[in-house]
Amino acid sequence: MSLAKTRLQEERKLWRKDHPFGFFAKPEKSADGSLDLTNWRAGIPGRKDTIWEEGIYPITINFPNDYPSKPPKVKFPENFYHPNVYPSGTVCLSILNEEQDWRPAITIKDIVLGVQELLSDPNPDSPAQEPAWKAFAKDKELYTRKVKEQAKRYQNYNA
Amino acid sequence: MAKDTYLKKVLGEERFNHIKASKVLMVGAGGIGCELIKNLMLTGFGEIHIVDLDTITLSNLNRQFLFRQKDINKSKAMILVKAVEKFNYFDCKLIPHHGNIMNTELFPISWWSSFDYIYNALDNVEARTYVNSIALFLKKPLMESGTTGFQGQVLPIYPYQSECFDCIPKDTPTTYPVCTIRSTPSKPVHCITWAKEFLFMQLFDEVQILSPEKLAEQRKILESETTDKKEIDNLMNETNELNDLRKLTSSTIEEFMDNLVNKIFVKDIEKLIRIDSLWKYRKQPVPLDYATYNSELSSMVKSTSSDVLHNETKVWSILENLYVLYQASKSLIDRIQSGEKFISFDKDDDDTLNFVVSASNLRSSIFGIDVMSKFDIKQIAGNIIPAIATTNAIISGFSDLQSLNYFKSYELSNQDANTVFVSMKPNRFVARATLASPNPQCASCSLSSRGIMSLSSLDGTLQELIDNIKEFYKYEDISLILGKNKLIYDFDFEDNVDRSLNSLGFKSGETLLVQDDNDELENLELYIIIGEEFKLPELTLRAKKVFKEETDAEDDEPIEEGVVDDIIEVEPPIKKQKV
Ligand SMILES: [Zn+2]
Repeated sequence: MSLAKTRLQEERKLWRKDHPFGFFAKPEKSADGSLDLTNWRAGIPGRKDTIWEEGIYPITINFPNDYPSKPPKVKFPENFYHPNVYPSGTVCLSILNEEQDWRPAITIKDIVLGVQELLSDPNPDSPAQEPAWKAFAKDKELYTRKVKEQAKRYQNYNA
Repeated sequence: MAKDTYLKKVLGEERFNHIKASKVLMVGAGGIGCELIKNLMLTGFGEIHIVDLDTITLSNLNRQFLFRQKDINKSKAMILVKAVEKFNYFDCKLIPHHGNIMNTELFPISWWSSFDYIYNALDNVEARTYVNSIALFLKKPLMESGTTGFQGQVLPIYPYQSECFDCIPKDTPTTYPVCTIRSTPSKPVHCITWAKEFLFMQLFDEVQILSPEKLAEQRKILESETTDKKEIDNLMNETNELNDLRKLTSSTIEEFMDNLVNKIFVKDIEKLIRIDSLWKYRKQPVPLDYATYNSELSSMVKSTSSDVLHNETKVWSILENLYVLYQASKSLIDRIQSGEKFISFDKDDDDTLNFVVSASNLRSSIFGIDVMSKFDIKQIAGNIIPAIATTNAIISGFSDLQSLNYFKSYELSNQDANTVFVSMKPNRFVARATLASPNPQCASCSLSSRGIMSLSSLDGTLQELIDNIKEFYKYEDISLILGKNKLIYDFDFEDNVDRSLNSLGFKSGETLLVQDDNDELENLELYIIIGEEFKLPELTLRAKKVFKEETDAEDDEPIEEGVVDDIIEVEPPIKKQKV
């Protein structure tokens, strides 16, 4: 645990020094007025010139006790519309998978940028939900419409 | 001749007296503790405290030799002290404590600081990490020890001078996603887990009938993992259908077997194949062609002379696995029918083991996974790394011996002690290595200093405390984390500065982590006590170490040959390293 909290405070500092434009990321406030370092909230802006550009999409990042040996869990809201997001909101991304590309050196900045890239550049080989996956594969028009509708809903999400 | 004549000769008069005057702590009264206690007593320690939170169970008796059947359900620490009184030749004062070592009310830091030496005889990482942190706070020497089957190690820890328990990366056990186990296995262990924890459980063990809430919860878990609704529905259905199958345990073996095989190895597999998304990038399973084995199987069953069941190291054919499944099911439903309400998997209960071995092998062959021998599957299914009394005894001996160095000089910088490894390697039963220096990246000892902070009251404000800490240690700006994960103050979080320490959760036994916001000084971890006056520990903080590129320490760690797969470790050795 020593390592996890030291590292998370380090991440918070790193983020303050340098974070990508339009993003935010911070630990959640607990009922007792402290910040819970193991539980972060972040906003991911859709990339410019993509059908995602109008929204800022909310995610939660949960860090386990043995972070950074084990990766955090990243979640969108339930039923978030994206081919690689499970109905529960869990994101399927190789850098967040212990058995794939997770390394302890991956920072919160790397994670949010990875998520941003995944938004406009889904991985067709890793379906996580039926509606978005089907539309993405077979009905681009429907897919575009749904994504844009969703972007509108998340237009005003901020810190 | 006095009883201690030889002891004096062996230890030397001076050290003998040191040891006689020492008060030591043994944490854990289990496998290692039962052995270690007699060594410590016979080494002549004046006072030994023993802490354990457990009570004695039947399964302890095969290796924890101080306990008897009549002691079952009694406190380990209490019984251990009673048991050794008979040979307390050197009048050691023995004090048992029944309680959790991590409880700061039962065992406050003042209690810890009364000991000269701490011996760990623990079996879990959490408690070990905790005792290690206390040793670091108090700069007390600590002897760490652990065994896994025939392997064992003792590691003397001299805080900040040699490697601490946290300096060494730990393996954590792998858990498997439900979907891998139920729909898309790719390794033998997936099939073994399925046979043992799903199939066997559903058919023979005590299972709760799931409430709608529980079912909804299960569905949620699946949804967080799986690729589509079809697969989830299929998995949810399967559980219900197995419940139907369970009812067949009251019918004949023929009926049970036919239904079981047809469902599990034929129909269920056909259903899985129909979910095409699963097989886009995977090899499709092939349902068992049960009909072709049917006649051979029944003639095998009729002839009473088959010795398949006794050949544990041979890899069985499909027919042989079907035969074993038949025989195991027969015994199991016989037992259910003659009154056993439910049967739990136990690696030493051959009926249950045979069932799991044959069922997992049949599933493996369907998915094109390697089939294994009963012997090999037993190791995996039984999570067996046996706790071996002999290893415990040897390791306890080294634990005692290696600690004796300290009682010569009482110096933490004295690193004459060795870490000792015990294993079953030919010509290398015992190996030793000099102590390593602290891992420069260890967050517990290399990247931070520790000490006790005494607060006279909890009424003061956070701002006052911040000012005091900054001034005392010459920090320019700091962040504060209370306990496990509560950030209460940093550069852009000043909401709490006017609140009282009390309202923020400060209390005796809690820890406060101070980090330098300007990255000049190292971290400082403070153990909070309530005392007469406000006092910060006198420490000279070292400059903060900065690591450019974080190396992936776990991957580079040399792993001892023959180390077993991490999934079957029950009491992981404290270190895996070539000597
Ligand atoms: Zn360390």
